[in-house]
Amino acid sequence: MIAGPELVIGFLLLAAGAVYLLRKMEGLAALGAASAALLLAVLLWRLPLDTRVLVAGRTIWLGKAVVWEGVSLQIGAATQALLTFLLITAAVVFILAWLTYQGRTIYPFGLILVALWAAVAMVHPLTLAPGVIVLAAIVSVFLIQAGKAGETRGAWRQLLFPTLAVPLFLIAAWYIDQAPLNPDDQTPFKIAGWLLIAGFVLLLQPVPLHVAIPAIAGQAPPVVAAFLWIGGQTTVLFLLQRFVVTYPWLTAAVDSARWLLWLGVLTALLAGALAATQSSLGRYFGYAGLFDYGVLLVAMALRGTAGLPTAIWLVLTRAIALLTMAAGTALIRHHMESDRLDRIGGAISRLPMAVLALIAGGFALIGLPLTAQFASRWALFQLLAETDSRWVLLLLIGATGVVIGTVRAGRACFGPLSGSPVEREPWGLALAAFILVGLGVVIGLYPQLLTTPVAAVILPLSTLGP
Amino acid sequence: MNLTDFFRQLSLLMGLPAVLLGAAAVAVIVIMRDWRIVLFAYAVLSIVLALLLSQIIPPEWALLQAIVGGLIAVMLYLSARQLRWNPASGVSWEGRWPQMASLGSFRALAVALAAVTFLALREDLVLPQVDLLFSDAIFWLVLIGLLGLALHEEPLHAGLSLLAVLGGSELLLFSLIQNRTMIGVLEGGQLLLGLAISYLMVSRGLASSRTASGLARPGEDA
Repeated sequence: MIAGPELVIGFLLLAAGAVYLLRKMEGLAALGAASAALLLAVLLWRLPLDTRVLVAGRTIWLGKAVVWEGVSLQIGAATQALLTFLLITAAVVFILAWLTYQGRTIYPFGLILVALWAAVAMVHPLTLAPGVIVLAAIVSVFLIQAGKAGETRGAWRQLLFPTLAVPLFLIAAWYIDQAPLNPDDQTPFKIAGWLLIAGFVLLLQPVPLHVAIPAIAGQAPPVVAAFLWIGGQTTVLFLLQRFVVTYPWLTAAVDSARWLLWLGVLTALLAGALAATQSSLGRYFGYAGLFDYGVLLVAMALRGTAGLPTAIWLVLTRAIALLTMAAGTALIRHHMESDRLDRIGGAISRLPMAVLALIAGGFALIGLPLTAQFASRWALFQLLAETDSRWVLLLLIGATGVVIGTVRAGRACFGPLSGSPVEREPWGLALAAFILVGLGVVIGLYPQLLTTPVAAVILPLSTLGP
Repeated sequence: MNLTDFFRQLSLLMGLPAVLLGAAAVAVIVIMRDWRIVLFAYAVLSIVLALLLSQIIPPEWALLQAIVGGLIAVMLYLSARQLRWNPASGVSWEGRWPQMASLGSFRALAVALAAVTFLALREDLVLPQVDLLFSDAIFWLVLIGLLGLALHEEPLHAGLSLLAVLGGSELLLFSLIQNRTMIGVLEGGQLLLGLAISYLMVSRGLASSRTASGLARPGEDA
């Protein structure tokens, strides 16, 4: 019998090995990786957790735990939803990466990354999960560099903060184990609470620890960067939710929601200001993504009220927005051989769909009407205004910075061609960019399309166990 | 002579001398620029950490720290050698001569200021289940390691500073939790970290050595 964790991790690692052998034939590797991710997503979506099922002559029990030396891996209902989301995102990323020339490393390493994120979502004791996040950061070093010599800042910063977080979580685990020995003394809980908050600040990397995000955006292929943010940030936020539900004393020991609210607002505000002043598309993309991440942190801070459904909604819609903008940025960077704003003049005449994706992605990250993020942002702002309307004002100031950045980036693509002749965008790329932009508009017009998946995740996520 | 006897032979080194040697080694990692001196300091630090760990965990587990540290030092040595000593890298004989940086004195000053902070705060720091000497070693390694992370962004120095912070954290962690699996997993993780640091070193170094020899521009395919 195959247990759920064995199926997910084993299948992904085997697929990664097979795709690595095919890496010279990039199209085949991309299709293989995308098919493997989609197949596993369908299996996870369709298979029940609590009963054994016969699939291709093998018995699979998705909800069965795998235990080794006191460490267990188990798929719960919320984990099942997260993994389905990550696998579908990975499948889209593999196809986009192939179409937008993102390098060959993404296919095998992308599958390994999803396996590691899955392990983070399944592992118990929870305090071991940051160690797996470090393994994921080590794998992402190779993805960010993508075989290129030169700048290493993005990869290094991606590695640094999760590594520093690991000892904090392990020491917190010791304090948590000590607490029952003297039930009247709340000090171990207090210390563990502060250590966990410090650890999560290092894992979440809000302002002022955000330095990896713009560095990765400037250095890594844009679709790879979007993949790392969508997968990595969602997994860490999922881990935070698991901690809060598993250790209810954590919210009493430290006011984590207030910390998260402050950090989220500060992140959105500073990222908005910096997005307005960048001179390259890559770094503008990074700061626009950082602004959006700050807004997501604010939604997570409100998880005690109705913030959790809004956060889930934002996670889904931001994936579309980030991938749309990444596709546009990647195409312009590749065809114009630069992403500096003073060197992409005339891109609109040769790469119209790429420029459309860039601008539509920017507008979606701001949360303007007719974009995927509009309804979810609107819901969040209403919720936040009930707490304190000044927070909304600060987020809107941040959004204004991203608006300025988007207008500057869009404007830079107009005018005559500034350099050597530029090849027209292939129709396949134009179609992919159009589909992403169209999907965003459709969800902007009919946000109720996402009601069912969001509703299906709320209950398991708010009650998930270890 | 078994491993326990071997560590007993070294018992003279295990107290204050080991802590002082480790403290000096981490300071050298942060201050010096030349990769050979820095790697030698890291190798010394790994041995000192193994000696200190042998007081709180079984010697055969502590030896793992020295083995992992040695393997990391070898990986980093091979990476650095590939860049600085390989004739194909385009680095001249003069370029291989030990390097001193004018910023070295600034970094020495920063370490001296950190030492003042250390002396001012060391008695206020109370760590659970750790004696004063160990507490000093942990505080110094973490403090100077973090200072190294703030001062360097080049993979060799920053990576070794990060490993020094982890070394200090391990002294505390293994004093609290003596679990064979955890020790194995943490040491394995450090080895993977060393691999990533070596890769980043080569990535960055290839670009700068090629630029120096006029072979290619930074940022192009390696």
